[in-house]
Amino acid sequence: MDKYEKLEKVGEGTYGKVYKAKEKGTGQLVALKKTRLEMDEEGVPPTALREVSLLQMLSQSLYVVRLLCVEHVDKKNATTGVAKPLLYLVFEYLDTDLKKFIDSHRKGPNPRPLPPTQVQSFLFQLLKGVSHCHSHGVLHRDLKPQNLLVDKDKGILKIADLGLGRSFTVPLKSYTHEIVTLWYRAPEVLLGSTHYSTAVDIWSVGCIFAEMVRRQALFPGDSEFQQLLHIFRLLGTPNEEQWPGVTSLRDWHVYPRWEAQNLARAVPSLGSAGVDLLSNMLKYDPAERISAKAALDHPYFDDLDKSQF
Amino acid sequence: MAANFWTSTHYKQLLEPEEVDVVQQLDRDRGITLEDFKLVKMHMSNYITKLAQFVKVRQRVVATAITYMRRVYVSKCLTEYDPRLVAPTCLYLAAKAEESTVQARLLVFYIKKMYPDDTRYRFEIKDILEMEMKVLEALNYYLVVFHPYRSLTQFHEDAGMMDLMQFTWGIVNDTYKMDLILIHPPHLIALACIYIASVSKDKDTIAWFEELRVDMNVVKNISMEILDFYDSMRNDIEERIGVALSKLPPRA
Repeated sequence: MDKYEKLEKVGEGTYGKVYKAKEKGTGQLVALKKTRLEMDEEGVPPTALREVSLLQMLSQSLYVVRLLCVEHVDKKNATTGVAKPLLYLVFEYLDTDLKKFIDSHRKGPNPRPLPPTQVQSFLFQLLKGVSHCHSHGVLHRDLKPQNLLVDKDKGILKIADLGLGRSFTVPLKSYTHEIVTLWYRAPEVLLGSTHYSTAVDIWSVGCIFAEMVRRQALFPGDSEFQQLLHIFRLLGTPNEEQWPGVTSLRDWHVYPRWEAQNLARAVPSLGSAGVDLLSNMLKYDPAERISAKAALDHPYFDDLDKSQF
Repeated sequence: MAANFWTSTHYKQLLEPEEVDVVQQLDRDRGITLEDFKLVKMHMSNYITKLAQFVKVRQRVVATAITYMRRVYVSKCLTEYDPRLVAPTCLYLAAKAEESTVQARLLVFYIKKMYPDDTRYRFEIKDILEMEMKVLEALNYYLVVFHPYRSLTQFHEDAGMMDLMQFTWGIVNDTYKMDLILIHPPHLIALACIYIASVSKDKDTIAWFEELRVDMNVVKNISMEILDFYDSMRNDIEERIGVALSKLPPRA
């Protein structure tokens, strides 16, 4: 690890701290994701293992953050002499993430909407990345603006943080005991469905799409129950007709019966093609939700120069 | 853990037989022959399978663990990487990678139960955790493995021979006593096992195979390798394994 110089801590991932660092030899900026290995317990955390092995497979896509290498070090404590094993995942460095990018357009010295072409381009790249994951049989399960890295100058967006390990439960708390955000979670997950599909990621993409347009979250719930009510108030309370099987999901209760609102009003600056794509991403029945691959061909992208991707 | 073989790391990692059948210098210095090398790996495959029965993990985890163990010895030698520790560590790692974690202390407990009097098999939790890192590095963190089991049901249904499914499944299990999984795409291994099953049970599957558009020469070659392997399982196999294991260094 001597070949890297740590510059600053830039965040906390699912299982450890993330640093911005410089490779001394080349001057290349990298992101170091540190994982402590609990040698008295269970070794390498399964989430870290899963992330490494999935990234080994997915990293060849331009729209998934590139894992450059993995470094294992035994850090000796200077006073006690006890070696503390650490695992570093070395990633390419991007200067910001989509959350910070959106924030910088909402507040600060120069608040302004994201240019529509920027939203279009980011959404296209996000769908490219998601489609790549799905074609490899990998669900991300935790897509959110914080997990999408952005290169401001080049206008590039990449998916990061594939650490969420389990097939059946998405943890409510990360290792730092921060509450994991619910805002992008699909209704079938909130209702306790045990069978996830690629559609859970598309729901998240829809929420992120709307957030880029609105500069604020579409469904900012602070509990699972509140989260569902946010969704139902806008899209109407789902019924068996729209979504066969919904009332037999584990956590289904009787909810107030809201009528669906006009989705276009939630994203006033978005054109009709965009609203149509968004409504296809936010379909209640996971089987009806548009796939990432199909979304890439949606008319919303007709005026996008796809040759650059 | 992932679905598409052709774009997977597993596909890119397939090796030539000449790359797999290499006895490292340090091992040769101890008198370990290629035959010994294969026998030790076979013994360790059986060991992983038995240990897995105690901790109750699915067959896929066992298959992944054996694949890891075999990949480790493509580049590492038996002398430096004690297979008696590498084998359970690969099971530990495979269980994590396949999302059905087994506690290291359980493995330690059952290893002791399997070999109560043999101190060469006495390991502590920390030994497994230390070896876990070494195995990960030897694997270069490539953990995704595809197996022939996945295509078996589909093939049997399609060929209308569901009655042979259990029989073929057993043959597939046996292929993990060899290095086939490092060399051939899993679906071709599955077809070779089906071929052997159908021939030995007198099922006429020629027409079905002809429609598959796979290279039947490859399938037949894999089948021959499996049959040769069965042939080599003579009565003195335990004795030969004993001789091979005796060439391993005693534990430090």
